[in-house]
Amino acid sequence: MKANRVTVYISVMLATGLTLAACGGGNPVSLASSGNTTNPNQDSGSSAVQLNASGSTFIQPALEDWAYTYSQAHPSVTINYSGVGSGQGIKDIEAGNVDFAGSDALLQPSDYQAHPDLQMLPMLAGAVVLAYNVKGVNTPITLNANVVAGIYMGKITNWNDPAIAALNPGIKFPDTPINVVHRSDGSGTTNIFTLYLSAVSSEWKNGPGAGMTVQWPADKLGRGQGGKGNPGVSAAIQNTNGAIGYVELAYAMENKILFANMINAAGKTVSATIPSTVSAIGSAQLSDRLTATFVNASDPAAWPIAGFTYLIVNKSYTNCAKADALASFVNWDLTNSEAITHANTLFYATLPDAARSKVLDAVKAITCNGKPVTINP
Amino acid sequence: MVVTKPLSTKLPTPLVRRMFQHGDVPFKIIIVLATLFTLALVVGVGVMLWLFTSVTRMDLGFSFVTSKTWNPTGSQFGALPFVVGTLITSILALIISVPLGVGIAIFLAELCPARLRAPLGVMVELLAAVPSVVFGLWGIFVFVPTVVKPLGNFLKNAFGTSGDVIDLPLFHGPFYGFSYLAAGAILAVMVLPTIAAISRDVLLAVPGSQREGAFGIGCTRWEAIWQVVLPYGLSGILGAVILGLGRALGETMAVTMVIGNVAQLSGSLLSPGYTMASVIANEWGESSTPAYASALLEIGLLLFIMSVLLNLLARLLVWSVQRRNPQQHA
Repeated sequence: MKANRVTVYISVMLATGLTLAACGGGNPVSLASSGNTTNPNQDSGSSAVQLNASGSTFIQPALEDWAYTYSQAHPSVTINYSGVGSGQGIKDIEAGNVDFAGSDALLQPSDYQAHPDLQMLPMLAGAVVLAYNVKGVNTPITLNANVVAGIYMGKITNWNDPAIAALNPGIKFPDTPINVVHRSDGSGTTNIFTLYLSAVSSEWKNGPGAGMTVQWPADKLGRGQGGKGNPGVSAAIQNTNGAIGYVELAYAMENKILFANMINAAGKTVSATIPSTVSAIGSAQLSDRLTATFVNASDPAAWPIAGFTYLIVNKSYTNCAKADALASFVNWDLTNSEAITHANTLFYATLPDAARSKVLDAVKAITCNGKPVTINP
Repeated sequence: MVVTKPLSTKLPTPLVRRMFQHGDVPFKIIIVLATLFTLALVVGVGVMLWLFTSVTRMDLGFSFVTSKTWNPTGSQFGALPFVVGTLITSILALIISVPLGVGIAIFLAELCPARLRAPLGVMVELLAAVPSVVFGLWGIFVFVPTVVKPLGNFLKNAFGTSGDVIDLPLFHGPFYGFSYLAAGAILAVMVLPTIAAISRDVLLAVPGSQREGAFGIGCTRWEAIWQVVLPYGLSGILGAVILGLGRALGETMAVTMVIGNVAQLSGSLLSPGYTMASVIANEWGESSTPAYASALLEIGLLLFIMSVLLNLLARLLVWSVQRRNPQQHA
């Protein structure tokens, strides 16, 4: 009895001590149970495969839908995707914490240098639209590149500016100062929008530039505000008379938000739709890294503010069950009719045939311990 | 008659067994370890932040804190707008919530009918249980449009236009709703239950003899509360304010949702701003370069140092108050 108690005390103390040691030091200390730690490249030895992924929130709705639909047909495969942001997704796949990542950001030359095995795969394209709230204006307005750049540079400051009126004969604009709303969180949506501004305005390109988070000129002039996520931007627009801001097409459609038509590079007035986004991709040339930007596309039917969202995979894996499952899943995403319909329902544009076949070739080229992967339909 | 047992012929109990027999020693070891664990966590977080921020600390040095330009795309990192934003919103929150919270505490502890005390107290504590993201949503859809906007417009019209009798630069500039003022007001609501509930407990713990003494020498109720009860509980109330300040400094979600998220320095409470916790939460996910990640972590380090310093300062304050009132040990 007493001996028992002593054993309990000692084991409690040991456990506490070990926890302390594990937490206090800089390096994680593996205890005896290190067999449980997840190593994505370790063969689990069973037929059930679990793919872990993290990254972009832009692609998350489609990826979650695909993961669910795919595992209905392939019960042995489960896919866990956590939407932690593109930057974190890139960090995760570079550290080997996940099997693949989602990203709206392009890998930099330094990333490829340190991790030559990484491959970007464009999966879908999304459009970005300009929503606005001007008391008295309830019909869709039309904007062009100069006006949008002027507003975001802080040059056009009032809705009654003649440049806006010239594009919208028949609409009476009130004397209301323009408030510029942008995303406060780092975002692929911001990246697409600022790529567009950089493409149409050299002043923007040499000033704030393009990126996930930029320094907004309107903020400096005291006429800007930031909202978190599409809902945050949309709430800020609704709360502010005279506000304009960019949100994802999917979000604007689902929430019935009024957004502006744009005059594109070909001089045509277009509305943001899936077909007009697909037209924009049509003029995109995929690079050797399978990346492309197609803002301000030249096609007369193209919506000018759109961009790809990508998956990042490794070109070679050591766990063949995982590699096969991953390649099959990506192949299914791009070719299965159900997958494509679901993506379109979520207001993503899917790839045109030419781009798709290039991406499928890259998927087929994934290897496992030097052998090509087996792709199951 | 007591029958004495014959002396035991057994050897004395072994040392280890004696130590563990009555539980005192193991208990002491366990609680000391638990305390050390807390210490290790605090030190560990500090060390982690220090190590992971080497890139920006080496490159930028102290200019990181004094520069006001935050432009991640151009690799310009200056934390000043966030430091200022955190200080402004937290101080504003305390200015609003301390008088309210202490007022609530005085009512609950001194004036409230006994049968209402428990239900009202529970209501105050329930306010603390509302998740911050819910406060944020409430802020976006209800509080900012219906309270902050009219208040801000009033302040702007009364004090913010040049030519007014009193012209305060604090209320200048365009006002859209989402602002330092909105964030400070939301924070005030959020720290109110902490300050009110703890102050109430402090006042309830003031011995009845103190009040009796005050009434005995002819004090009115107001004099008894203001000159006897409150000074007696002052150090405890300060402790409550410090806990509230701690929450205000680190609050992320609700502030992000109503502050407007603009990384600019502004002297006006009506302009949108940014706080340290908000910028980390907003931008960490997309911080793809090492310098960017390091800059965000260094903001975390600054926030950590700021909290530690404020806590030390608060300790000193409580200590000096206690020295002035040696009769109490609150």
